[in-house]
Amino acid sequence: MSTVLRVESIVKRYSDHAVLNGVSLELARGEAKVIMGPSGTGKSTLLRCINHLTPPDEGRVFLEGEELTSENINKIRQRLAFVFQDFNLFLHLTVLDNVRIGPRRILGQSKEEATERALTELRRVGLEDRANYYPAQLSGGQQQRASIARALAMDPKVILFDEPTSALDPELTGEVVAVMKQLASEGMTMLVVSHEVAFARSAADKIIFMEGGYIVEEATPEVILRNPRSDRTRGFLKAIGEQEAV
Amino acid sequence: MSEFLDFAAEHLPYILEGLPTTLALWILAITFGFFFGLLLAWCRIYGGRLAYSLATVYVEIFRGTPMLVQMFFIYLGLPEIGIVFDPFTAAVVAIGLNTSAYQAEYFRGALLSVPSGQMAAAQAMGMSRMQALIQIVLPQALRRVLPQWSNEAILELKFTSIAFAIGVTEITARAEKIGYQTFEFFNTFVLVALVYLVLTATVAELLAWLERKTYVPGVTARAG
Repeated sequence: MSTVLRVESIVKRYSDHAVLNGVSLELARGEAKVIMGPSGTGKSTLLRCINHLTPPDEGRVFLEGEELTSENINKIRQRLAFVFQDFNLFLHLTVLDNVRIGPRRILGQSKEEATERALTELRRVGLEDRANYYPAQLSGGQQQRASIARALAMDPKVILFDEPTSALDPELTGEVVAVMKQLASEGMTMLVVSHEVAFARSAADKIIFMEGGYIVEEATPEVILRNPRSDRTRGFLKAIGEQEAV
Repeated sequence: MSEFLDFAAEHLPYILEGLPTTLALWILAITFGFFFGLLLAWCRIYGGRLAYSLATVYVEIFRGTPMLVQMFFIYLGLPEIGIVFDPFTAAVVAIGLNTSAYQAEYFRGALLSVPSGQMAAAQAMGMSRMQALIQIVLPQALRRVLPQWSNEAILELKFTSIAFAIGVTEITARAEKIGYQTFEFFNTFVLVALVYLVLTATVAELLAWLERKTYVPGVTARAG
């Protein structure tokens, strides 16, 4: 398997407090990894450091072998999509325009081509009948699915998901998880910060457990959820009620 | 009443000959104020330290002194250092510079009120900061600023009347002339006040229409 995303020794400090203490990870093509861990442990910061929304203090990020720099960042982000916890759909644009603006204005496709692409992605997330609605007229789950369609329309090599279901009412998480599972099964390379154990168990190739700015362990969902090596992982899973057996 | 109507029928045409001048003053000044105000707001939010300081000082000076004083300075003061404007241009410059300071503050508030996640999402897709500002932040800010901006535009329409003080023959200047010709000041100024009332009501209606036309649920608070 070829490595699509490589993250090397990311360090991020706020004043003299280090949030990330040298975090490294890799994603192979088609791989889905889920990052779990207690809150305030640097998971979202790590994701934002990977696409330089929050510039890391140290460390390097490579997408398909190409290192992210301040010069190529806009080019690389086109292939490194980001799905936000609170969706961040463009409020003044319809769902269709939200999904179309990337291919049209960033990738420079023709209007017809971009529209075609947007409609395809909206069908993929089950929102073609909401194409002409504004974000404020959608439920949270629909907004998050629209934001996933917006990410997909850029034809990304990797999608980073930052707690995609945390802002949703419990009854709405299922529809978003279903879309993410479908993407994983179709071979999308994904790095997901989430506590959705159901997603991790059935769709993730690996679970990464983070705490205190470090990766504590990384293993298959089977191992992490049933028999983690670290006591800290065990303690966390117990705390969220997901320690299955010993 | 019929006496007033006779008076109006006789003198209204002369007053309305000033209408193109009043409207031209207004449109040029608020258009200039729009673009320059946007630039000032931009400097205050996104500019470096120098741009921020210059824009801030500008806004404070023009909001802190009377527009009439500014206009006299431009028309009567600047010629002493070799900068000469005709009365119409001086009035446009004075009203335009003044309104730009106010518009800048409205734009600044509106730009800052756009949620920061909008910029983050645009940049995360690969937009440059400038592209994100123009395509994502600005269209939302302009919708949000429209109610305040409408107030400012209507205020400036009335402020065009100060141009009469430097000899621009807009509608107030013409009314004053009629007053001194007829010595019917009561009727004269009721008539010209009615002209302004019709103008401002029309403009208010147009801007309310624009607000409804550009309304997007979730961007501006109230429904159109």
